Amino acid sequence: MSNAISQRRSGRAGVLLLLACFCAAVFLLAVGVGSVAIPARETLAIARARLTGAPVPETIPALHVSILTKLRLPRVLLSLLCGAALSVSGAVMQSVLRNPLASGYTLGVSSGASLGAALVLLLGLRLPLIGAATLPAAGFAFGLATVLLAMALSARFDPGLRSDTIVLTGMVISLLTSAILSLLCSLNRESLERLYFWQLGSFSGATMEECALLLVLLALALPCLLRLCGEMDILTFGDELAGTSGFSPKRTRTALILLATLLTGTAVSACGAIGFVDLVMPHLARRLVGPRHRALLPACALLGGICMMLADLAARTVLSPRELPVGAVTALFGAPFFLLVYFGRRRREEDA
Amino acid sequence: MIEVSDLRAGYGGREVLHSVGFTLADGENLAVLGPNGCGKTTLLRTLAGLLPFEGTIRLDGKPLSGMRPRERAARVGLMSQTMQIPFDYTVREVVRMGRYRLQRRALLSGETEADERAAEEAMRATGLLPLADRRVTALSGGQQQRVFLSRVLAQEPAVILLDEPTNHLDLRSQLELLDYLKAYSETPGRQVVGVFHDLTLAPRLCGRALFLEGGAVRGDGAFSKIATPAFLQTLYGVDVRAHLEEALAALPRAQDAGIQA
Repeated sequence: MSNAISQRRSGRAGVLLLLACFCAAVFLLAVGVGSVAIPARETLAIARARLTGAPVPETIPALHVSILTKLRLPRVLLSLLCGAALSVSGAVMQSVLRNPLASGYTLGVSSGASLGAALVLLLGLRLPLIGAATLPAAGFAFGLATVLLAMALSARFDPGLRSDTIVLTGMVISLLTSAILSLLCSLNRESLERLYFWQLGSFSGATMEECALLLVLLALALPCLLRLCGEMDILTFGDELAGTSGFSPKRTRTALILLATLLTGTAVSACGAIGFVDLVMPHLARRLVGPRHRALLPACALLGGICMMLADLAARTVLSPRELPVGAVTALFGAPFFLLVYFGRRRREEDA
Repeated sequence: MIEVSDLRAGYGGREVLHSVGFTLADGENLAVLGPNGCGKTTLLRTLAGLLPFEGTIRLDGKPLSGMRPRERAARVGLMSQTMQIPFDYTVREVVRMGRYRLQRRALLSGETEADERAAEEAMRATGLLPLADRRVTALSGGQQQRVFLSRVLAQEPAVILLDEPTNHLDLRSQLELLDYLKAYSETPGRQVVGVFHDLTLAPRLCGRALFLEGGAVRGDGAFSKIATPAFLQTLYGVDVRAHLEEALAALPRAQDAGIQA
C-alpha cells in the first residue's frame, strides 16, 4: 500500500519536473523569438559568460547581447514571475474561499491594484523611504482594500459568509474600480495610453528592478504558503472542520489572503490587470497533480509562468511590429479554456 | 470527563443556550435531544470550541476556553455532516487530514509513517480501504459520511462530537455508523457526544440522554430511565411509543407476509 503512495508521489514529482523543463524551454524560446531572432545557443553562451564573469564570445553580435539583456530578458522574466505570482495567488484564493470561481481578478484585487498603481502614476507619487517600491506598495494596498471591502460587504449582506456572496460582491467591486479607472482615463487624455496599459496589461518596458522585487517577494511568499499547505487543504472543507482540526481558521485565512493579495497586487503593479491566468491555471494544475497544495502550488507557479510567457510571446509577435495587450490574449484563450476545464469536471461528476 | 456549568452561548447578540449544565463521566456516551430550535447544535458547536461562550466547560479538568487549537483537537473532534466538497481530494487524503494535530510544522509535509498507518487503520475500521484512492466527490452520500467518520477516527480525539450523524443514510448505514462509533468509545479515555433527532437510534450508541428545550436542560439521565412516554409527550407533543407501535404494525411480520405470498 505504501508502495502505491510513493508511486503516486513520484508521479507528481515527475509532472513537476516535466513542467520545470517545459518552463525552461519556453523561456529560451521566448527570449529568442522577436523582430531579431537570437538562437538558443547564443542565449546560453551569453548566460554562461554573464554568470562566470567571462567576456561574451566575439562571434555573437553586440546588438544581440544588448537586445537579450536589456529588452528580452527583463520582459520574459517579468512575464514568468507575474504569471507564477498570479496563478499561485489564484489557487490560494480558490481554496481559502472554497470557490472554484475565485481569483484575484474576479475578487477585484487586480482591478483595485491597477487603480492604485494608476493613481500613483497619474499623481507622480513617490513615497519617502520606499521610493521605487511606491508603485507595487500602492498596488498591494489598493488590492488589499478591495478584497477587504468585498469581504466586509458580503459579511453584511450574508452573515453566513457564503463564498458565492464574496465572489459576487468582488465582481461588482471589480466593475466599480474598473469604471473609476476608465473615468480617470477620460479625464486625463494625455495619460490615456499609459492607463489603458493598466487595464489590459503589458510587459513592454519591463525592468530588471521589477523582476528583482517580484522574485524576492515570491521567494518569501512561496515558502510561507508551502508551510501552510496542510491548513489550506483542510480549509477547503469549511470552517467547522478546520476549527476542530488543530489550528485557528480565522488567523490562517487572514494570513493566506494577505499573502495572496501581496502576490497579486505586486504582479499587477508591474504588468497591469491581466485576467484568467489566475483563474484557469489552478484548475489545470489540479487536473495534473491533484488538489493537494504541496504539489498544486509549485505546479501553479510553473504553469502560470509558462502560460504568461507564451501569452506575451503571442502578444508581441502575432501582429508584429504592433503589440497586443497581453490581458486580451489571456482572456481570448482563457475564457473558452476555463469553460472547458470547469464544466468538463462538472460533467464527469454528474456522470459518476 | 466533561464538566459543563452555567453555559450560555449563541450567535451574535442572540443567546441560544441559557445556563446549561451537566457532567459526563469517562466512557459515558451522551445523546443530546429535543425539538427543533432547542439549542442542540449550538451546544455541540460550543463544545467543539467553534463558538464563544460564557460559563465553564472543562475537559478532563482543563478549561476549554484558552486551550490552544492543537490541544483542543486532541480532546474534541467533530464529525461534520456531509458538505459541499469543492475539490477532488481522494478518500485517503481527506482521512489523513485528521492527523494534522499530530504533525510537526514543516515546509512541505510533516507526515510520518505513523500517520499513514493511523489513516489506514481508520479507513479499515469503516470499510473504506477498497475506496482509499477514489475521489470523495465521486462517492455516494453514505460513503462520504464514512469518509468524514474515518477522518475524525484518525484524529483520535478523546471526545467525538456528532451532529445528526445518521442524516441522509439508509438504515443499514445508520446502524453501521453507530456501531463504528460504539467501538471507538469502548477504548478507555474515549467517548461520544451526539445530537440526535431519531429517538430509536440514539440509545444504540448512548446510555445517557440530555433533553433540551428552549435552550435549557429539560431532562438529564440514563436513557432507559428518563425517556418515558409522559416525558416525551410533554417535550415533543407526540405519543412516541404509540407512533412507533403504529410504524411497527404497518410493516408485515415474516409470518404475515408468508400467508399473503
